[in-house]
Amino acid sequence: MAFSHKLVFDERHYDIQVLQKAAYRSMNSLTVDIAADEGQIICALSSNIGVDESSFLSAVQEFKKDVLDYQLRHQLSAETKPIKNLILGLAFSKTGLISE
Amino acid sequence: MSKFQKLELYAQQLPYELLPFKFDRLNDDEYVITNMAGEFHVIPAPMLEPIISKTLPLSSELIPTLRSKQFIRFTNEQAPLQLLALKIRTRLSRLAQFTNLHIFVVTLRCDHSCPYCQVSRQSESKGEFDMTTEMADKSLDFVFRSPNPAIKIEFQGGEPLLNFEMVRYVVLEAKKRNLKERRDLRFVIATTLSLLTDDMLEFCKQHNIVLSSSLDGPMDLHNANRPRPGRDSHQRFEEGLKKARAALGYDQVSALMTTTGKSLPRARDIIDEYLRLGFDGIFLRTLSPYGFAIKTKKFMSYDTERWLEFYKEGLEYIIELNKSGIRFVEQYSSIVLTKMLTSGDPGFVDLMNPAGAGIAAIVFNYDGSVYASDESRMLAEMGDHTFRLGNILEHSYEEIILSDQLLDALENSFTLSAPMCSDCAFEPYCGAEPVYHHAIHKDVVARKPESSFCKRNMAIFKHLIELMESDEQTKRIFMGWANRC
Repeated sequence: MAFSHKLVFDERHYDIQVLQKAAYRSMNSLTVDIAADEGQIICALSSNIGVDESSFLSAVQEFKKDVLDYQLRHQLSAETKPIKNLILGLAFSKTGLISE
Repeated sequence: MSKFQKLELYAQQLPYELLPFKFDRLNDDEYVITNMAGEFHVIPAPMLEPIISKTLPLSSELIPTLRSKQFIRFTNEQAPLQLLALKIRTRLSRLAQFTNLHIFVVTLRCDHSCPYCQVSRQSESKGEFDMTTEMADKSLDFVFRSPNPAIKIEFQGGEPLLNFEMVRYVVLEAKKRNLKERRDLRFVIATTLSLLTDDMLEFCKQHNIVLSSSLDGPMDLHNANRPRPGRDSHQRFEEGLKKARAALGYDQVSALMTTTGKSLPRARDIIDEYLRLGFDGIFLRTLSPYGFAIKTKKFMSYDTERWLEFYKEGLEYIIELNKSGIRFVEQYSSIVLTKMLTSGDPGFVDLMNPAGAGIAAIVFNYDGSVYASDESRMLAEMGDHTFRLGNILEHSYEEIILSDQLLDALENSFTLSAPMCSDCAFEPYCGAEPVYHHAIHKDVVARKPESSFCKRNMAIFKHLIELMESDEQTKRIFMGWANRC
């Protein structure tokens, strides 16, 4: 038997890429159809074949936590991207790998 | 008269800035945060959001730790950037040196018939499975094209002692060439020790060759795992070990174990056997999905969860031993801990990014084929030649090293751009492993949520961190392991 669950996210607070990443991470237990509609992102979650109800409910809970985590990662990554590039630039400078 | 200013004068007034870091849930209550240099810190779950939104008060006791590990900096501080860059550079310094380990498969013949054999060995008499001198010469040309100042040549099989003449030839020829090359040249023979003779040992002693052997546990388990005529694999191992230690030195012989279904309930027995035979460590290995391990379905005989139970039980026992004063190391943990607790990278091929295939190790097979790694040639013995980079008799160094087979695998599996890995807090400790993922999933990246490599390693990383967090003595033991490499 397949189980399903619908989650709705406000586009003002969640990036679509964040939901895609959370969906990818959950693929061992469930699949997610993602659709956008009037400022909302709708995630339709369906259990994988062979996943029982209790495992599916746990996976839905994990998915929700992952969405929050990935949104925070998104914020952190955007803010630190310039300094990350600077650090990598410093790390790879003067390696002698490219002739001057 | 001068006097010190009050402490408050030095207090930071401006908010802190974030430096790049990643995070993952360690358990329901805690997150682990890591940075590009592999520094990590465990924080209570409710602290994560305030750290990232920069609402953590400057008086928080977390601030000095986050600063000292370069997760945050105060405005205009330059030292954290320099430190991070230096640590990253140190971690990646092996890349510039390029290939160190060169594996010569001098024969595929073997006197054992292990059902989990990952190289699909042949019977002792089949001479067509031996490397020729022409192939060996060309392989040595290749070896000395590597820019690495340290070169290790490892002889593998089958049982390399069945073609000892070729071992002898390669060692002498390599040493002759090295008179001019002046590299740090080392030799290893991977052998069961069952066919070791005094003449061979004399040669090994003369040329500082070390031996890497196999021990699966107590006699009954070892002999069941490693059948040979006479069912005396363990006895021969023990005799060979004694002779080899006497001739070459006590620490010149190491052993590796393979975990089969029969090993799983016997973690302590296996470790006790290593202790009895005087080893100071053990590598709790899982079974690789190659060769006869797949054909005989041995690979499917246990799952990742069960192996993790075995690993955790073994590690717990090893920690107990260390606490009671017996220094004994679990070597896989030691490799991971080196990546967690130091800026060094032990260069373990499975845990490298970019993958170690070809650029850390390369294999010259008995038939002239060149493979990206030991696992690649194991895969080839199963009929999958995806990671065959060329033939030593037909292709140049450049053609092999710059082959699409190698470059595509390295580029496509790079973890910093792989789905899930790129956001994973444990990425600095993990590896790309394109060959494993290709073998199981037919894709060098694979879907990580379905990857047992990912599941296994993630569980190990979390377990090691939790052990360190929960017990200061265990952390001290682990620091000792990490700093030995």
